[in-house]
Amino acid sequence: MTGTVAPIPRATAAQAARRGLRRAATTLDPLATVAACVLLAMFAATILARLVGLGGSPTEIVGTRLAAPSLAFPLGTDSLGRSLVPRLLEGIGTTLLLSVIAVAITAVLASTAGIVAGYRGGRVNGTIMRVGDMLYAFPSIILAILVAAVVGPGQVAALASIVLVTVPLMTRLVAVSSRAVADRDFVAAAVISGVSTPRILVRHILRNVAGTIAVQGTYALSIAILVEGGLSFLGYGVQLPGSSLGLLIKEGTTYMVKAPWLIVAPGVVLVIAILCINVIGDSLRDRLEPRETRSLV
Amino acid sequence: MIENVLELDQVSTVFRSGWGRGRRELTAMDDITLSVPAGETLGLVGESGSGKTTTGSVALGLRRPTSGTVRFLGRPFDRRRGTAGQIQAVFQNPNWSLNPRLTVGASIAEPLSAAEGGSLSSHEDAVLTMLDEVGLHRSVAERHPHELSGGQRQRVAVARALITRPRFIVFDEAVSALDVSVQAQVLNLIKDLQAQNGFAALFISHDLGAVRYVSHRIAVMRLGEIVELAETERFYDAPEHDYSRRLLEGM
Repeated sequence: MTGTVAPIPRATAAQAARRGLRRAATTLDPLATVAACVLLAMFAATILARLVGLGGSPTEIVGTRLAAPSLAFPLGTDSLGRSLVPRLLEGIGTTLLLSVIAVAITAVLASTAGIVAGYRGGRVNGTIMRVGDMLYAFPSIILAILVAAVVGPGQVAALASIVLVTVPLMTRLVAVSSRAVADRDFVAAAVISGVSTPRILVRHILRNVAGTIAVQGTYALSIAILVEGGLSFLGYGVQLPGSSLGLLIKEGTTYMVKAPWLIVAPGVVLVIAILCINVIGDSLRDRLEPRETRSLV
Repeated sequence: MIENVLELDQVSTVFRSGWGRGRRELTAMDDITLSVPAGETLGLVGESGSGKTTTGSVALGLRRPTSGTVRFLGRPFDRRRGTAGQIQAVFQNPNWSLNPRLTVGASIAEPLSAAEGGSLSSHEDAVLTMLDEVGLHRSVAERHPHELSGGQRQRVAVARALITRPRFIVFDEAVSALDVSVQAQVLNLIKDLQAQNGFAALFISHDLGAVRYVSHRIAVMRLGEIVELAETERFYDAPEHDYSRRLLEGM
């Protein structure tokens, strides 16, 4: 007969807690931990600058025009004699905040559309994917300029552009993952049991594609920073007297030969931020989607 | 007269794909008529592509047939109304049958919470009772599927199917992925639970041995048609159709 199945020892709460801690500690590899720390330092610096005025006022004219880096002005001064340090800190804040908000919006839109497309399949999937293809067909910066032309240059344009540029890829990947989950027997069992569709989407599909969403979210964040940079560089994004990494680079190009520090500092920060985010993304991917191998290149 | 829980009356299902010249039609179920009374198991056998699984999903209401009627408890079948919890299924792949993100207890509780309302955690008593019935230790409720063996997972799938005390269960290749000894355990479990609960069952499999063990009657499908439908004993002693004989010889 069915006989006895050996009882499984029940894990104590302490064991479970230890497992949880170990899991959290091993979520990121050392390189990714460094990257996360660098990003956190950037966030901390920009918050401190806003709250307690770290580095001084971003708009006050404090020195001579285009002064080279010195003790008083560690990154030099710009064409109006403003110190670059507070300008850069404000710029990091604007860029990161814009990007994070935009990616959050993207994540919500893309997850919803992707999960519905993957679960429903057929025509719903086809329609959502074709809309995504249309957005895909535009080079991202052209799409961004189009948005800026419609809503007017500024932070809203940057936000909307980032969302439009990052939504198609994320939607597609979430849809593919959702499709794979939707084919599994536990979803059919839930349908047969009469579980409502919204419940199935959240309990069964969303929970199982959450890893994909997290990984794609980090990649979308680095794309977001690039799009903001490009748009502000072209003058359609963040406007003066505000500051963002793209805007600072644009200002720097004017005096590239005479005062190269104006373009080097924001450029380096931009590169480091994107590098850190991609390293974290790779680490999350290895952790959450272990079957996907790293690319050979 | 025994009440028929499920009746399929001249049911056909045709798959169409492509359009214009590339249009193809495939008849997965061709004029199928069968019935399953309470407390009885109907075994459905046949090779891959014979339409077994399509018949299963039509019986479960997952797929609408092209023509013919499906009756559940004598009424024409309408999935969305009132059948919640009365029909359940146990599927083939023990790795795919449970949501890896839910605890076993939550998975088992889901059909009950769908049928009667309430959160997954509010049905703990019923879950523990079910675990006892399928011969699993109560602590399994706290575990996740990856911590269980294939046989244990299939027991969990059986527990999930039975928790609402359904009138009709489809077992679609429910033991095919298991070791022979574990298969026997799960088949015994199904028989015992049927004796206790009196549900009607459709047992779909390509494994004639397993089907013989649990079924009261056997239907043989080939290319979408039922070529023979007979009592189990009679079928294994003296199969009437050529194809049935060949199937049995191939055992």
